[in-house]
Amino acid sequence: MEIAVTVNGQTYERDVEPRKLLIHFLRDDLDLTGSHIGCDTGNCGACSVIVDGVLLKSCMLLAVQANGTRIETVEGLSEDGELTRLQQAFNEHHALQCGYCTPGMLMSTTALLRENPSPSEDEIKKALQGNICRCTGYWNIVEAVKSVAK
Amino acid sequence: MLLREVEYAKPGAVAEALQLLAANEGARALAGGQTLVNVMKARAASPDMLVDLNGLEELRGIELAGDGTLTIGAMTTYTELMRSAEAKARPILGEVCATIADVQVRNRGTIGGNVCSNDPTNHLPPLMVAIGARMTIAGADGEREVPAEDFFLGVYLTAVGPGELLTRISIPAGKKDGFAAVTLGAEGTCICNAAATVNGAVRIALGCVDAVPVVVTADSAGGVADAVRAANLTPPSDVHASSEYRTHLAAVLATRAAEEAAAR
Amino acid sequence: MSETTLAPAPVEVQKGWGGQSVKRKEDKRLLQGEGVFVDDVKRHGMGYLHFVRSPYAHAHITRIDVSAAEAIDGVYGTLTGEEVAALTDPFFQISSAPGANIKDYALAVGKVRYVGEPVVAVVAETRELARDASELVEVDYEALPALVDARRAQDSDAPVLHEDAGGNLMWTGLYSWGDFDAALAEADRVVKIPELHFHRFNSTPLECDGALVEYNRGVGQWTIHTNNQFPGFAAIMMGPAMRTGLDKLRFVTQDIGGGFGNKITSHPQLVVCCLLARKLNRPVQWTEWRTDFHLSMSHGNERWFHDTEVAVKDDGTLLGFRTKALDDAGAWLRYEPLGGVIWAQVTPGMYRWRHIELDFTQVATNKAPVSPNRGYSRMQHLWFTERVIDIVARELDLDPVDVRKRNYIRAEDMPYETPNGCVYDSGDYAATLDLALQLIGYDSLAGRRADAEARGKRLGVGIGSTLDSGTNNFGQSQLINPELQFSGNNEVATVKLDIFGEIVVTLGTTPQGQGHETTAAQVVADILSCSPDDVHVRAGHDSYWNSHAGFSGTYASQFAVTGLSAVKGATEMLAAEIKKLAGAVFGGVPAEALELADGGVRIKDNPDAFLPFMACGAIINANNAGLPEDLDVTLNCRYVYRPPFEVPDVERKFGNLTLTYAVQIHVAVVEVDPETGSYEIVDYAAVDDCGKRINPQIVEGQVMGATAQALGAAVHETYEYDEDGNLLTPNFYDYHVPHALDMPPLATGAIESPSPFTPLGTKGMGEGGGAGIHAICAAIQDATGQIVTDSHNPYQRVWELMQQ
Ligand SMILES: Cc1cc2nc3c(=O)[nH]c(=O)nc-3n(C[C@H](O)[C@H](O)[C@H](O)COP(=O)(O)OP(=O)(O)OC[C@H]3O[C@@H](n4cnc5c(N)ncnc54)[C@H](O)[C@@H]3O)c2cc1C
Ligand code: FES
Ligand code: FES
Repeated sequence: MEIAVTVNGQTYERDVEPRKLLIHFLRDDLDLTGSHIGCDTGNCGACSVIVDGVLLKSCMLLAVQANGTRIETVEGLSEDGELTRLQQAFNEHHALQCGYCTPGMLMSTTALLRENPSPSEDEIKKALQGNICRCTGYWNIVEAVKSVAK
Repeated sequence: MLLREVEYAKPGAVAEALQLLAANEGARALAGGQTLVNVMKARAASPDMLVDLNGLEELRGIELAGDGTLTIGAMTTYTELMRSAEAKARPILGEVCATIADVQVRNRGTIGGNVCSNDPTNHLPPLMVAIGARMTIAGADGEREVPAEDFFLGVYLTAVGPGELLTRISIPAGKKDGFAAVTLGAEGTCICNAAATVNGAVRIALGCVDAVPVVVTADSAGGVADAVRAANLTPPSDVHASSEYRTHLAAVLATRAAEEAAAR
Repeated sequence: MSETTLAPAPVEVQKGWGGQSVKRKEDKRLLQGEGVFVDDVKRHGMGYLHFVRSPYAHAHITRIDVSAAEAIDGVYGTLTGEEVAALTDPFFQISSAPGANIKDYALAVGKVRYVGEPVVAVVAETRELARDASELVEVDYEALPALVDARRAQDSDAPVLHEDAGGNLMWTGLYSWGDFDAALAEADRVVKIPELHFHRFNSTPLECDGALVEYNRGVGQWTIHTNNQFPGFAAIMMGPAMRTGLDKLRFVTQDIGGGFGNKITSHPQLVVCCLLARKLNRPVQWTEWRTDFHLSMSHGNERWFHDTEVAVKDDGTLLGFRTKALDDAGAWLRYEPLGGVIWAQVTPGMYRWRHIELDFTQVATNKAPVSPNRGYSRMQHLWFTERVIDIVARELDLDPVDVRKRNYIRAEDMPYETPNGCVYDSGDYAATLDLALQLIGYDSLAGRRADAEARGKRLGVGIGSTLDSGTNNFGQSQLINPELQFSGNNEVATVKLDIFGEIVVTLGTTPQGQGHETTAAQVVADILSCSPDDVHVRAGHDSYWNSHAGFSGTYASQFAVTGLSAVKGATEMLAAEIKKLAGAVFGGVPAEALELADGGVRIKDNPDAFLPFMACGAIINANNAGLPEDLDVTLNCRYVYRPPFEVPDVERKFGNLTLTYAVQIHVAVVEVDPETGSYEIVDYAAVDDCGKRINPQIVEGQVMGATAQALGAAVHETYEYDEDGNLLTPNFYDYHVPHALDMPPLATGAIESPSPFTPLGTKGMGEGGGAGIHAICAAIQDATGQIVTDSHNPYQRVWELMQQ
């Protein structure tokens, strides 16, 4: 099927098999390898992206379902190589180790802060519930998000 | 990952969706996909065609009638339900939805998909049964309404037949509800759960203890544990809980749900 | 009035970068999705590999037919066990007999031995197609009874996995130090513990294994892009099996999405990729999916401790213990039976008992092969010693804190030689415990207990005190198999000054999030008197270049010792060469009269005589005419760090097995719901002493990560099999790892007892010894009043404990 999506402001038109998951489409077809795959059951959130303003796991959606949407991925967060405040906070607070979960974490917390610029610690944890990190134990991620909360 | 080949259709009207489902034996409705896509990744089931319900405005929306009855479109997501001012009329709905999985799943997963998949560990089947929801099913011959109690037929099996769709769920007025669960980690998959509603007597629906929610009634919260024991449950054993442990949890959780309901 | 300065501000050189929480250099790429993980690597014409896996735990393979799969358009080819057996030799076995006799190939040959074992590999044009085709591969099996309980492995009627080994016994060894019978005679009491069980789990790095393998027919060389975390080991396994020299196996890694030991033993899968890349003459890409990983990759060692006897005095003084350890290796010995000796690095735990007897037996079962997992083999043993302490305390009605303090090796005893000849380098265990207790508010627990009680909950407190032994002496492998020719350890770094004065560092290691690029830069910066920002540490590892040694890799808590000592050595060489060059340029100034400062080298007494690094690099690399002929300066220095080790005494099983011993003391507070057995970890403290910390924030990050993994393992994570050998937790649904909402409040603390044995005073760290598991077990014991005998305590088990 022919689909057109806009990812981080750029429009792509591609022919895809309906069975292709959005995450495979982003990574393999569009070479946007920032979003990762950490599971095969929708548990880990490493593939989280924002589609038309809605945070979701891109392994739980077919690429064809994203036809006509605006997608935001980790590659689109910073502008001209300048890290956003949130990205800087992750660096400051050592909120990443291997960095594999990090793109998903950033998308989830970006979505949170858009809706709720001053989340409490519990709200932050709840917002991270769909993202697994095996390296950090989450404490520093929560700290990083807290530090940019208004 | 890596699904089998499948066809994809995105109808713009329920009638069209019903036609597609009726015309293709191997067609399956695709709602939020938060169960179905996983099933397809495992290739445990491989529909020939996915009929995507996401374009069907008729299946969205939450309405509150004058008598307090809520009508919720099958394609309403958990997040929409949690945010809906109307849905606050029955507070337990939003409260329970807020503990299902995580933000991403709640943003996609639908109330219709939750009950239609009828995974015995899901949150909503027992809740729908306890609060006396009624499900509207549409098919080639029009619509029919089925009480939640008769809706769930077996694991992954409901009253929605081939070529049919669940279109909406209506929920009577009420506030005195409760929900209790022991989960795998905070807000994780249910190991055992119980939903309760108090309307004079206490009505409990237990999840995870059988293929379908099990209904137990008692005069008061104090009598719930005995009523559960009298139900002679034979829950399944699995890696998370033995049958015996689930039986025990059912009585404890039913009591807690009933106490919560009674206290409102 | 504001001032504008046009001249660049003088670079502020901060003294002592080591010890500061310098922000990580790695983060900038990782935060922008610019890391390069193995699945991100692509090549023209590459084929995707999918494994056909065994649905049986134990079965004969009677027929394989790949023709239907190969007939599909877009399928490039297949590989079967039979082909593997013809093209390769079985992997070299570390074990002595009987384990030595098993024949382990990259694909199942003739028989399958666990559910998920790779049987056939299929390569196709797309990932989806490879999977489609693999469904068309026909394999006929003749099912055999499965062996899942290690305790039944040596029964006469037990199914035998490896006929070549003559039974399921893989390796056995009796360890005895001191005189346990004398300890029994001296004891006031003998505490007996019939059975303890340490369960099967692993660290489940978020990224699974993978590779992209290219074969160049012209030179007969494979280039293996992979996230294997110990390429040196993979090469030693693969080369002989593939009948090729190690130089033909080029390993390339960049970013690795977590390893924790679980990415050491992917060599069988890598061999399959290599064979197919050659057979099909195209690059072959393999991505392991989560379910594949759970089914087949590197489970942690499951271990039983039977018939334990502990000789104690009435006052709680521990004299010694005797036990039988039964280790479940799963179906293959992929790194095993090294677990049979690795535990001995921490034989007495943290305690002064001198009489120890441990009869170690490892058996094969029809489950996934075990391999290193964070805390490898020591964690099991330390869990055992910690359980013993708390069980003894309970039996003697003593305070677990007092029993620990009475028996801890004391600060004044350091360095302390353990009964088996290991030398604990430094540490003050009692002070570390005090700090942990202070962080948790141990003195105010009575009030919290009462408060919990009032809410219908039962409060429990538990301590886990452990060691993280680091920098292996590989000579310990000779205790497993005296014929092995491994000993000592080594690591490499190169540091060079490039043409424009760039300081470029290559490491032999394969980091997976430990921040090596940052800490290496800190060490270099201190020696060259520059900023870590000026130091370019190359990301990743490429064995093609001269940047690694036999034991290179990132595993077993050693970078701060081996890696950074190599960096230090190479940088000191470079510093000396810079001075030598400058001395010549300045017309014969001796090195002692020179110093490095402000990004260059100068004469101490005449700072105006200054040669910037840029000039040094330019002179040697591009402007070297006229330099003295005997000036042996390359400004490209390679240093191999070799820790001071002797070969252990094989007869006595005696010797120093690791160089450093970092200390972790954790305290957990739990609240148990007595009606359901569910519990919450409501408070937690973790204190770590890993000697000198180069970057305290990175160290704390490791402590946090190890804590989270231990808590996950203690409560929910388990690889549980049914009696037919089916894995019941093959994904993140059923294998529940901690999520954000599961994490307790955490207080961390640090003590620095520098190691006297390492160039920087550092100790390896990061594995954490499983302290969290020990602490949770102790806390559950405290809350329920029942002896805890399993390392895994899900709610049901706690509920059952309370029914006793
Ligand atoms: C990580 C994770 C954790 C989860 N944890 C929980 C949990 O704790 N509790 C819980 O309750 N759920 C949980 N879920 C499941 C989630 O709630 C799903 O959203 C839900 O079960 C299915 O809803 P869906 O809209 O995604 O349906 P889909 O997956 O699209 O469909 C599910 C099934 O229902 C059918 N169907 C859907 N809508 C209709 C309709 N209108 N008419 C007829 N048939 C229909 C489909 O054909 C399919 O067979 C979890 C999911 C994930 C990925
Ligand atoms: S890869 Fe999408 S949730 Fe794990
Ligand atoms: S940083 Fe490694 S998984 Fe989160």
